[in-house]
Amino acid sequence: MSKKKDQEKVFEIKWKTNLQYRYSIGKLAVKFFEELKKNKKIMGSKCPKCGKVNFPPRAVCADCMVEMTIDDMVELPPKGTLEGFTVVNYPFTDPNTGGMRPFPYGYGLFKLDGADTYTMHFVNETDVTKMKIGQRVEAVFSEELIGDLTADIPYFNIVKEEK
Amino acid sequence: MDKVGIVGCTQTKYEADKIDQTYSELVFEVVKKLHNKLGITNNDIGCVITSSNDFNDGRTIANMAIQDAVGSVRKAESRVSGDGTFAYIYGAMRILSESFDTVLVVSHCKCSEVNQYLVNNTIFDPYYQRHLGLDQISSAGLMANMYMNKYGVTEEQAAKVVVKNRKNALNNPYAHLQKEITINEVLNSKMLAYPLKELDFPPFSDGAVAMLLAKEDIAKKMTDTPVWLKGYGSCTDAYYLGHRNMTDLIGLELAAREAYKMANINDPVKELDVCEVSENFSIHELMIYEALGFCASGEGGKFIEEGETEMNGSIPVNPSGGVLSSNPIMANGLIRVAEIALQLKGKADKRQVPNAKIGLAYGMNGICSQGNCVLIFGGE
Amino acid sequence: MSKHDVAVVGIGQTKFRSKRRDVNIPEMVYEAVKMALDDAQLEPQEIDAIIIGNMDHFEGINYSELFCGIEGAPGYLKPVVKVATGGTTGSSLAISGYHNVASGIYNKVLVVGWEKLNEGGATTGIITAFDPVWERPSLAGALGPLALMAGMYSAKYGITPEQAAKVTVKNRSNAANNPFAHLQMPNITIDYVMSSQMISYPLRLHDVCPQSEGACALIYANEEETKKITDNPAWFHAVETAHYYTFGTDDKMYDLPTAAIASKKAYKKAGIKNPVKDLDVAEIYEPTSWSELSWTEALGFCKPGEGGKLLDEGITLMSGEFPVNPSGGVLSTNPIGATAMVRVAEAAIQVMGRGEKRQVPDVEKALAMGFGGSLWAEILLLGKEPLR
Repeated sequence: MSKKKDQEKVFEIKWKTNLQYRYSIGKLAVKFFEELKKNKKIMGSKCPKCGKVNFPPRAVCADCMVEMTIDDMVELPPKGTLEGFTVVNYPFTDPNTGGMRPFPYGYGLFKLDGADTYTMHFVNETDVTKMKIGQRVEAVFSEELIGDLTADIPYFNIVKEEK
Repeated sequence: MDKVGIVGCTQTKYEADKIDQTYSELVFEVVKKLHNKLGITNNDIGCVITSSNDFNDGRTIANMAIQDAVGSVRKAESRVSGDGTFAYIYGAMRILSESFDTVLVVSHCKCSEVNQYLVNNTIFDPYYQRHLGLDQISSAGLMANMYMNKYGVTEEQAAKVVVKNRKNALNNPYAHLQKEITINEVLNSKMLAYPLKELDFPPFSDGAVAMLLAKEDIAKKMTDTPVWLKGYGSCTDAYYLGHRNMTDLIGLELAAREAYKMANINDPVKELDVCEVSENFSIHELMIYEALGFCASGEGGKFIEEGETEMNGSIPVNPSGGVLSSNPIMANGLIRVAEIALQLKGKADKRQVPNAKIGLAYGMNGICSQGNCVLIFGGE
Repeated sequence: MSKHDVAVVGIGQTKFRSKRRDVNIPEMVYEAVKMALDDAQLEPQEIDAIIIGNMDHFEGINYSELFCGIEGAPGYLKPVVKVATGGTTGSSLAISGYHNVASGIYNKVLVVGWEKLNEGGATTGIITAFDPVWERPSLAGALGPLALMAGMYSAKYGITPEQAAKVTVKNRSNAANNPFAHLQMPNITIDYVMSSQMISYPLRLHDVCPQSEGACALIYANEEETKKITDNPAWFHAVETAHYYTFGTDDKMYDLPTAAIASKKAYKKAGIKNPVKDLDVAEIYEPTSWSELSWTEALGFCKPGEGGKLLDEGITLMSGEFPVNPSGGVLSTNPIGATAMVRVAEAAIQVMGRGEKRQVPDVEKALAMGFGGSLWAEILLLGKEPLR
């Protein structure tokens, strides 16, 4: 056995902590996933005071400190504009699965039409020369919708410009 | 020391599983209630100090999730990763340093989202103690056994703590467990870690608590009943259980001594009107009486038998029902502070101790009172 | 300015490395603590309180302060508390220490930031800082958003990869003068940076900070105690924090509005009208080379969009009018829980004139910056004399 492995045996202890969390997602997220699964809709939340449309939907408008409820949710089109992009090209462990996340993958920052906040999600492109700020993007829905963000909308496609 | 006042506090109802709310929504609930109660907006708040724990929240930098909820966008917020009492004193320091006029202090915890025994096991170092599978239950069992063995305190005396606190909780609309219990029920409950049984331990709860602190002139403007900080002490005992004094809570004793000195208290039983302590198991509260100087070492059992810490006793302890009735772990200390504030404001309704003028709140960190924070408050 | 004046009177740092196999966590913390105590010539018992923190979750030890604050620092039978705010942990600790002393509650405190990153998984851990439903599935640690920010910044102002690479060249060659720095590259070239692997467009491997292990400790004292300890302290002039939305993506990210807010408040408090002229040196928190260019704009060192020009003109070089990161910055050393505190330590070292080979001449005032969380920023200003 190599000297390094011997040293590791002496100097280090390996420990795996497996903590499983049952996160509460809140009523607005529950509604979001219902609408996604049943009606293929993407919902944001609109502040009743300032009118700011947030995506992802959330219970608090941070600027107004006002609560948003299910009644404040609005439908957003599955289209937007790419404001930033990258192609992730390094290995790391995915905390959701415990395994390595496959790479390279495209990753973008965009605003859905009608939303006032930006959001990030997978983009279906790994060639940076084919990506540009200002491109239009649209959500791609899975055949079967189960009420899970990445399972139901695995990525956004860059809309090819009409020549 | 300049004056720092608690203007007002809000709490959620403590429950086993607030499944329909994210912890961020819990925090917003108490923050918004506080704004409404005090007639203020976010602009009246100078900065925010929060208390939470990444392991409990299941998020690294767990306070990222509550920025919107506490109103700290474009503002200062800092997080004490520990019990709420430590967040309180940090908030008070930010006023005493003359950096801010008002500070919002918030603490939250949702025990329902993860296995608390596993989370507790991670407190122990991975070199020696963690492999033993230690957690709060087994450590408490060790401590209780050594204490009872040294001083002859009995299981019945310990059970009296549970009976008292669970009875007091009936008067607290926020309390998680609101059902009286008898000594026999405690003694006959399932043995978890000898000599402690299931009902010697608290439940696990979800909940949040918030309060607004202000410097003297602003506190006086905002409320007729500001609650002033009179004394503070903090002390940390040894880390390894084998290094700890397991029969006397030295860390708490030294912290209390500092707090009494600052508050000019020489005879705590006579001079304190009410106490809220973070008792993590029945015997713990008896040990706390001794460490706070209410009675001599080993006399905690006798002290409770004499009825001294009942609502009509010489020094009521835990009129709110204490941790044995509501246990959103990280928030426990700040809840104690909130309950003392209510007492001194005369707003504790059915659980009010008459004419409460000076109160003590005790919060702890870690296993079996390793980290200790004692705060003394006065209504005048 | 505050109830009590507060000064840094003792400094300790470990030599930062990618893996400290030779020590466990308390032993590593002790190295920095001992150095700070020796520096201030104080006995461990003379410390009134300890504030110690790391990236809470990372090493998998809950309530880590109750462990290494006792086993690696003189915390037994003393107040020990943890402040942990992610990337800004080091500066949050530094700010907490300030309030502990400025309030008059304590006279001498020890603040310690540490990280043993390889005993956890940094990218994996950072992903858990984000929302489990909306953000984690696609998020790629800290690098993903930093890459997005760099790309947007570049597109908005035409900043080039060469201009960004110059930052790495500056900082890692500066680091060669800093005996504590992790990556010391006296002969680094732009080509070296630009030929490194693209890890998340437009970030190349050498545009990005390393993962380091180590600890940093500072001892603070009020005006009375400082007189007894040293005649060469570094006084705090201002400490400010600004946070942002829970979802870091709610607003355009690349121009770090929080750094602008916090620095403006700090400058006002400390009477700084033009930072480049009124300050002498800055230690800023640049997780990527592109960040430094963008942050210099946010901090008011130059106009928006001119971060690249500022470095091109040599202003932030060691030989320039306003050196930035003489220590090598975060691009050279990044033990997360300590990183922001190292900025404060290095700013204090500059003010005290103890920087040796990395000393900027005639430093009266210095700036230290922390960055982290979802675009959080903290600014600390230090000076040779107390603020009047």
